[in-house]
Amino acid sequence: MSVRVNRRIAGRVFGLLVPAVVLAVLVDDGALAHHSFAATYNEDETITIEGTVLQFQFRNPHSFVHVQAPDENGEMHRWAVEWANPSQLTGQGVGAATLKPGDVVRITGAPGRDPADHRLVLRYLLRPADGYEYGNDPNETFD
Amino acid sequence: MTFGLPATGAPGAAGVTWLGSLALLSSLALLGSLALLLPGSALAQLNLSGEWTGRYHEDTDDRVPGDVQGDFTGVPLNDAARRYAEAFDVTRVAVLEHQCQPYNMPHIYRGPLQFRMWEEKDPANQDIIAYRQYIGTYMQSRTIWMDGRPHPPGHAPHTHMGFSTGRWNGDILTVYTTHIKKEFYRRSGIPSSDLTTVVEHYIRRGNLLSHVMIITDPVYLSEPYVLSQEFVLMERGNTNWLYNCEYVMEVPMDKNDVPHYLPGANPFITDFSEKFGLPFEAVIGGAEAMYPEYMPRIEALINEQAR
Repeated sequence: MSVRVNRRIAGRVFGLLVPAVVLAVLVDDGALAHHSFAATYNEDETITIEGTVLQFQFRNPHSFVHVQAPDENGEMHRWAVEWANPSQLTGQGVGAATLKPGDVVRITGAPGRDPADHRLVLRYLLRPADGYEYGNDPNETFD
Repeated sequence: MTFGLPATGAPGAAGVTWLGSLALLSSLALLGSLALLLPGSALAQLNLSGEWTGRYHEDTDDRVPGDVQGDFTGVPLNDAARRYAEAFDVTRVAVLEHQCQPYNMPHIYRGPLQFRMWEEKDPANQDIIAYRQYIGTYMQSRTIWMDGRPHPPGHAPHTHMGFSTGRWNGDILTVYTTHIKKEFYRRSGIPSSDLTTVVEHYIRRGNLLSHVMIITDPVYLSEPYVLSQEFVLMERGNTNWLYNCEYVMEVPMDKNDVPHYLPGANPFITDFSEKFGLPFEAVIGGAEAMYPEYMPRIEALINEQAR
C-alpha cells in the first residue's frame, strides 16, 4: 500500500470557514465547548495521512479515529484523528458503523501543535474502496 | 443571610440623617400598604420555568470555538492563577480522568448549553421550596433552595454545581452558591478554587433571560469576576438532553502522563497576544488591565514594541 504525508500551508481557509458556519450548524450539545481546536491544532496548516483504521471511537465529548499510517519520514504511527460528537455526526449521516477496523482511509486535517502527538482534527475523509467521503458538503463541519 | 458580596464601603451611607431615615421608612411603608391593596398577583414572582437555550453573540469566540492558547483577557487573575495558567497544557483534557469532567457551576453557563428549570412546591401550601435545573451539558442537576435554609459548613462535600440558596429581589432571582468543586474559569487554564462563591441574578424579560454571575475566589482572583450571558425560551423544547461521555484512549500516551509545562517552558503562552498584536503584559495583566485607566499603559507598551 502506498502512503504519503503532505504538509502544506492552507492559509486561513479553515480559519475563515469555521467561524462562518459554526453558528449556522450549532447544535444543542455542550461537547462543542469541550476544548478549543485553535489552541490544540495548527489550523493554518494541513496534513494528509493515508492508512488503515484501527479503531473508531464514536462517543462524547469527541469521536476519534485511530489510523495506522506513516509520517513524512515513512515511520509508522498510530494517528489520533479527532472528529465531531455523536450528536453532530448523526445529523450528518455518520454512525458508529460508518468506519470499521481495516478500512483504508485518506484523511486531511489540521495537525496537532505538538508533532510528537501524531494527532489531527479531521476536515476531509475519503474511503477509496467505495468512494465514501466526508467534508465536501458545507454542512459537514464541526467545532 | 449575606450573599458574599465584597465588603466595599457604600457611598453616602454615612450621610443619611435620622430624619431622612424616618422619611424613607414612611414612604416604604405607604408603598407597601398600597401594594397589598392591589388585586391579583402583587406578590407573585416571575415564572422562570421552561427550557432555555443560550445565545452566544456575547464573547462568542471564547465561549464557542475557542481561540489560540494564552487568552487571559478580562479575568482579574492574580499571580497564583498566572503561574497555574502558564503551566497548563490544553491537551490535558485528553487525560482519561479529565475527558468527562464536567464544567463547574461558574463555568458551565459560559459554553453552549440548554437547561430546563422548574419549580418545586410544598404540596401543603404551594410555596416554592426550590428551583430545579437540569443542564444538558455534562447532565448536571442544580437545586436552588428558596426556603431559607442555611448553607452547610465549609468542610461539607463540594460538588460541580455547589450548594445554592435564592431569594427574589423584585423581579430578579438572586442566587448564592458555595461548595463548588475546583475547576477552571476559562479553557485557557485559568483555575478556579474550591473556595469560589458565586452570586447570580436571573432577569427575565419576555422570552429572554439574562444571567449575570459575580464570582469571588480568594485563591485565584484579585477581585470579583463579573460575567453575563443570555438565554432564550425554547418554544419546542430541546431534543438532546443526554451527554453520554465515555472514557477512551483518545491520543495514545502513557496513562500516567499529565501534559503540563514547567515554569517558563510554555511555547504557546504568547500565541494570543501575538495573534492580536497585544502586549503580553496586558493580556495577562489581570484586573489592572481591565479598566480604561490602563489605556496609557497599553499605548506605552505598544510603542516600546514598535521600537
